[in-house]
Amino acid sequence: MHSRVRSIPALQIERLRFAYRAPDRATFELALDSLVLGYEEEMLLVGRSGCGKSTLLQLIAGLLEPASGAIRIGGTDITTLRGATRDRFRGHHVGMVFQTFNLLQGFSARENVLAALLMSDVAKGEWQSRAEMLLRSLGIEQLDARAEELSVGQQQRVAIARALACRPTLVLADEPTASLDPENAVNAVRVLRDACREQGAALLVVSHDPGLESHFARIERLSEVKAQSPSEGAVR
Amino acid sequence: MSDLTIVLRSLAVRRFSTGVVIALVAISAGLLLAILSLRSAGERAFERGTGNAHLLVSRDGSPLVSVLNGMFYANPPKAPIDEKKLGELRASFPWAMFVPTAIGDSYRNFPVIATTPEFFTKFEPVLDEPWKFAEGRAFDKNFEVVIGSAVARETRMPIGSKIVFTHGSHLSREGDGPQMEPHVHEEYAFTVVGILEPTGAPHDRALFCSLESSWVMHAHDRFEREGKHKLVTVEDLEEQDRVVTGVLLRLPSRVPGNAPPALVSQYDRLRRDGTITVALPANEVQRLFGIVASLDVLFIAMAAATLVSSAVAIMLSMMNSMGERRRQVAILRVLGASRGRIFWLVLTESTLVGLVGAAAGVAVCVVALFAATQWMLSAHGIVIAPQLDPRAAVIVAMGTTVLAAIAGIVPSVLAYRTSVARNLRPLG
Repeated sequence: MHSRVRSIPALQIERLRFAYRAPDRATFELALDSLVLGYEEEMLLVGRSGCGKSTLLQLIAGLLEPASGAIRIGGTDITTLRGATRDRFRGHHVGMVFQTFNLLQGFSARENVLAALLMSDVAKGEWQSRAEMLLRSLGIEQLDARAEELSVGQQQRVAIARALACRPTLVLADEPTASLDPENAVNAVRVLRDACREQGAALLVVSHDPGLESHFARIERLSEVKAQSPSEGAVR
Repeated sequence: MSDLTIVLRSLAVRRFSTGVVIALVAISAGLLLAILSLRSAGERAFERGTGNAHLLVSRDGSPLVSVLNGMFYANPPKAPIDEKKLGELRASFPWAMFVPTAIGDSYRNFPVIATTPEFFTKFEPVLDEPWKFAEGRAFDKNFEVVIGSAVARETRMPIGSKIVFTHGSHLSREGDGPQMEPHVHEEYAFTVVGILEPTGAPHDRALFCSLESSWVMHAHDRFEREGKHKLVTVEDLEEQDRVVTGVLLRLPSRVPGNAPPALVSQYDRLRRDGTITVALPANEVQRLFGIVASLDVLFIAMAAATLVSSAVAIMLSMMNSMGERRRQVAILRVLGASRGRIFWLVLTESTLVGLVGAAAGVAVCVVALFAATQWMLSAHGIVIAPQLDPRAAVIVAMGTTVLAAIAGIVPSVLAYRTSVARNLRPLG
């Protein structure tokens, strides 16, 4: 495990504001005044469907541009980074796990993890061994099976291995259990938590699944989203 | 794992459409390359065929027909040159080469050229490349025959074989007139005494014997028509039998090159004689290719248009897969790939399709050239030796690849502009 500067939080959000327009042309605003997540800390962010949980994760990953505020990952404000620098930073410091796993079709389990390492600053000589180690530690033995040939549970674990491949500071999981039955959901969360802890990464899970709440010591509720109908004009 | 692996996997996921597009590009590039190669091969074959003759005299209707019949053995010439005229021509200038030929007989549809021994000593089938014998020697007696390399290959006749000729051939049709009735000269058997090495010219598909042998056979026919039944010999020949269908001429020259200073004046002098047709073989070949040049341009333009349309097919194929591709792009962006890197990945994909298609096109061209060569040989008896011009292959391959890269620009820009947030999961 590589060294972390423990005095700096893995994730620190300050006065975040983001406005967006939904398909029905209603406009929404997401506002989050403060959120801090330490290294190896786990947090479940809950909220009703459509409250902006996934949007928050995309803001943290630098995939969306906030109207204002700061999002610091390991001390670096991702909102101040631009273009390829931000993309590289995301590749090096943020791992993401999705509800639909988003594995690369046509790629094997091993190649899905290697694709993440290709974008990383991990030395090329370590790629193969790290990919194999991660996949095997998560119980994947069919390293060269194509993603679409794996079971749903295996796909989820490959997605977790890929998210952790670059030794990220922070892992963001967006509804990671929504495609799984209750039993597999519990297993997936356990695997995800164990893997993040082992790799020393902070874990932020967003879900509207109340069944997950018993697994996390820290649970936050996202309720700052305000909506206005088109007739009510623009967001504040 | 490298960026190329990502490109290859992306192509493999769409293997059917990738395969179809590569096949399209290969056919287009191969077609263009085949046309270019055949064009130069045809020109080369005709240029080679004229050999070292400066002039060709005959009684054909036009200089071009004279060259096609007299040097490329397209049809037996119709009107003969008699012995008196032949003597006048020989005496009119101190020729470096004066080789009369009589064409009209055939053996298994290969034309038989009756000529003098100088045909093998002074006439060169290809400029600066004298005849070479694979086996045996030139004829030095009557009723001996030398066979071209293609004749030897196809008939598998060894030295010492005995053969008889046919008067006329399936190629003997003149204009719209009736086909000449073949007549086998069974009374006169020829012995194969020499087999020539390949020349890459129509001579490879011909047989060569002495003029007197040919005259004797035709005198025998005349005797039979006149009701005189005897085996004709050289002693029985009359002036009317001693005819030829063409004369290959070469002027003396002390300067290098194949155009001595006196050529123009001798050509003009002979042209003033209205009883003969005089041709500059090299000029006639150039004129022939001048006539077909515009058709060449048309064919090349059509092949190039096909190539452009295959580039459009690359673009359409990539655009069709854009929905699937957007998700892949979004995943790669999440993993840390920059927009620029995505742009180059997609552009590399289209370029690779062009490159593989171009390489396959070279293979298609080789197959097409082989088929065209066989067809020209069997259908027209013309020997062309098309060779894949490496320079043309490189230019066509590079052009195809560049076109494919250009075709990939629009999909690459769309991939560059792909919204990650929108293509991973709806906002919520």
